[in-house]
Amino acid sequence: MNITKIKPSLAIRLNTALLAIAAGVAPSFVQAADAPLKSGNEYMVVANYPNQINVIDVVTDKLFKTCKVPGAFGPGVMQVAPDNKTAYILSNHYEDIYGINLDTCDVSFHTRFSSDPTVRTKSIFSMAISPDGKEVYAIHNPTKLNTDHYRIQPTQLAVYSSDGGLDAKPIRTFPVPRQITVMTTGADGGLYMAGADIYKFDVHTGKYTTAIASRNWQRPLYAPPDVLNAWPIQTPSKDFTILYTTAKFQDDSYNVDTADWIYGFMNVNLETGKTQTTDFGPITEIYFTGMMSPKDPNIVFGVLNRLAKYDVKEKKLIKAAALDHSYYCIAMNHDGSKIYLGGTFNDVAIYDADSLEKLGNIQLPGGDMAISTSQIFIR
Amino acid sequence: MKKTPPIVSLMSGLLTAASLSFIPSASAADAQNIVQQKCLACHVEEGKTSWSRISHQRKTPEGWLMSIARMQIMHGLKISDDERHTLVKYLADRQGLAPSETEGARYALERRLNTSESFESQSFTETCARCHSGARVLLQRRPASEWEHLVHFHLGQWPTTEYQAMARDRDWLDLALNEMVPELAAMLPLQSKSWDQWQKSVKPVVAGSWTFAGKMPGKGEMHGVMQVVEDNKDQFSITLTGQYADGSAFKGTGEAILYTGYEWRANLTVDGISMRQVFSTAKTGEMQGRMFEREHDERGFDFSALKQGSTQSSVIAIQPEYIKVGDTVELSIVGTGLQGDVVLAEGLTLLKDVTSDQNKRVLQVKASNSIATGPKTIRIGKATADITVYDHVASLKVVPAFQVARVGGNDSSTPKIEAAFEAEAWAAGTDGLAGTEDDVRIGFMPATWSVEPFDATSAADNDVHFSGRMNAASGVFTPALAGPNPERRMSTNNAGNLKVIAQVNDEGKSVTADGQLIVTIQRWNNPPIP
Repeated sequence: MNITKIKPSLAIRLNTALLAIAAGVAPSFVQAADAPLKSGNEYMVVANYPNQINVIDVVTDKLFKTCKVPGAFGPGVMQVAPDNKTAYILSNHYEDIYGINLDTCDVSFHTRFSSDPTVRTKSIFSMAISPDGKEVYAIHNPTKLNTDHYRIQPTQLAVYSSDGGLDAKPIRTFPVPRQITVMTTGADGGLYMAGADIYKFDVHTGKYTTAIASRNWQRPLYAPPDVLNAWPIQTPSKDFTILYTTAKFQDDSYNVDTADWIYGFMNVNLETGKTQTTDFGPITEIYFTGMMSPKDPNIVFGVLNRLAKYDVKEKKLIKAAALDHSYYCIAMNHDGSKIYLGGTFNDVAIYDADSLEKLGNIQLPGGDMAISTSQIFIR
Repeated sequence: MKKTPPIVSLMSGLLTAASLSFIPSASAADAQNIVQQKCLACHVEEGKTSWSRISHQRKTPEGWLMSIARMQIMHGLKISDDERHTLVKYLADRQGLAPSETEGARYALERRLNTSESFESQSFTETCARCHSGARVLLQRRPASEWEHLVHFHLGQWPTTEYQAMARDRDWLDLALNEMVPELAAMLPLQSKSWDQWQKSVKPVVAGSWTFAGKMPGKGEMHGVMQVVEDNKDQFSITLTGQYADGSAFKGTGEAILYTGYEWRANLTVDGISMRQVFSTAKTGEMQGRMFEREHDERGFDFSALKQGSTQSSVIAIQPEYIKVGDTVELSIVGTGLQGDVVLAEGLTLLKDVTSDQNKRVLQVKASNSIATGPKTIRIGKATADITVYDHVASLKVVPAFQVARVGGNDSSTPKIEAAFEAEAWAAGTDGLAGTEDDVRIGFMPATWSVEPFDATSAADNDVHFSGRMNAASGVFTPALAGPNPERRMSTNNAGNLKVIAQVNDEGKSVTADGQLIVTIQRWNNPPIP
């Protein structure tokens, strides 16, 4: 409980220091909440404390406007709908989804996962939108709050109609495995869910198959991977990319001391459904997020304490840029020329994707972005 | 503005106001009444003094305090401090742990937060001791049904539990329910012989006078007398009268409560500083545990005491614990029943018997030039104890070899957590070589202290400059302020990785040793049992 109290004030303090070294945002550039986005223009959205969505103009690299979101902040997982106008945000302590019309900042959709006060239901980063924009998907992790004890309830996928209004209820539910985090939909409407394995889920029948084996992969001499993913990044190349770390043993003695420690990614091409599991380099540091270059699928970027660039075929770190502080979430513009780093404090850092030279910072009003997902889209 | 986490104020509240509020004769009835009034809003009455959940667990006083505090913080229980004290006392007495059931886990009660735990069971380590101390679990007893409730509570209260490292790689809930619950129920069952026996046993009487000894890191050895008066049942007044080796006073007064027949918890003011005692009085005539500052629980020492007036003669400490060949020192020998003649090992000569008291003898002793290095026996009447004689300091050890300090202050909710080191001197033994099996431990010696970068990263980040300051004389490291530091690389906080160096001069020869100090971020979650 302390950390949420203290983070905004720390962010503000750091912000003071950063202002000295980065160009600040003059308030006059910032538009009113109801200023519509320009059709065809490229934007980025990212959420932050106290509870708001910032819209950044990716062409000018200026803050365009800020929309308020109801409820309490967190985690700030976001998905931009296919209409390129509605941003869905998982917030209110992982218990609600709000759909925000970015043109007006109005709330166009809301669901509270549990309508029963004796059941507390959270979604751990699991939210996706159908390719036609008509349905919203969330994993429910319910707990029955009995008066003197709790009981964990089975997890389920809840399907909502995006026109369900401000008190939307699921129109279908299906049982799903536990431990699912990020999700996204393919062009064919299949829902990809990252859990013990990457599942492809049929949102009409509830049947699912393993799209990519992860915990259960059968790669000779490989240890099972460790996968953490809290950021369902919608990439310009329509890839669903999930980083993993693993160990590759020298031989069947499975000696940990001589094993190679490897970074890799699992990927679903959301247009074709084609999947891959690809090592891209040795582990030298941890990355919270990574993505393939929209220009060149042989180039992969990773970020946490450095911004790193890998040659996938060569399995080699090409370059790494030092950062002003840790950043959690990576995004790239559609032509693949610029990298936007979000998360942690309240400034977005911009890097040249070729040279990894820093291009600037965008200061956000308010506090910490924490683990919000930043998304770039063309209105 | 300083923020105090609710759990800290609750913990403090228990131990301060408790002795002022008890009416012990009525406390059991009072406690049952409080349960009726406060707890049965959610818990179910199963019998006259049996309630769902509550009556199916056994815990330490701190364990019960944490449960009730959680009901206040998370479940809206409204209860006064006095009512909570009454409940904790009642529950710890009625459903506590036998002394043997706390063995090996008391470090958590004693606030030894630098303890590195190690458990045989990998599943226990990865399932339970991943987020909090394993001791917190080992200090509870439950039947399988209650351990099962605990699994559901954990995942319900902290839904990311099954997504974290060492959980997301396995079918966590299934393993927790179907493997961990049976393991815990077998290892830590509600019913036990030792608890049955402890409940039936006659408990040691703690009222009386106690000879105590200890050594405060950074300040030195001390000893004295603790007077304990029972004001009401299980409720005591304490008067401490002691002194450090340099003659400065160690004096104070306070109050104590005895839980479960042996769990001694006291609050004292010693030389103007609020201190706490967490002792066990389970062994007749002995008190053991740790005494520490309330606001800085890292500042503390091992406390041991012997009850005066017992028929047995015994020594609790010889201070100082060593004598150099050819030197003359004044030794304080503290214990009980220390009457009778002094007989020293060959090579030690009694020059003066300064005072004569049953609980303390002060002897001026000379070690001859020819006496061999090693432990030498001192006999006083029927009591014996060893003092170490040494020729020269051949090697040092930094104790502890690894420690953690934490940044704090700077308007954050936690104070700085210091780290105190000691220099343990060793003699070479008969082979004349340091670092061999026959080395002889001499004891803790004053040293000159410094810090250096632990490695190249630490040097590049200038941790020595940013992370805090080592007191060259005391070996106490005070960390820097909390929060991001814009002067540092990546605006990181004042964390650091330091080599701690002790240096002792012995006959013009410098002997050094090093240890490691990690300076890290605050402990955000700091309940009574870590």
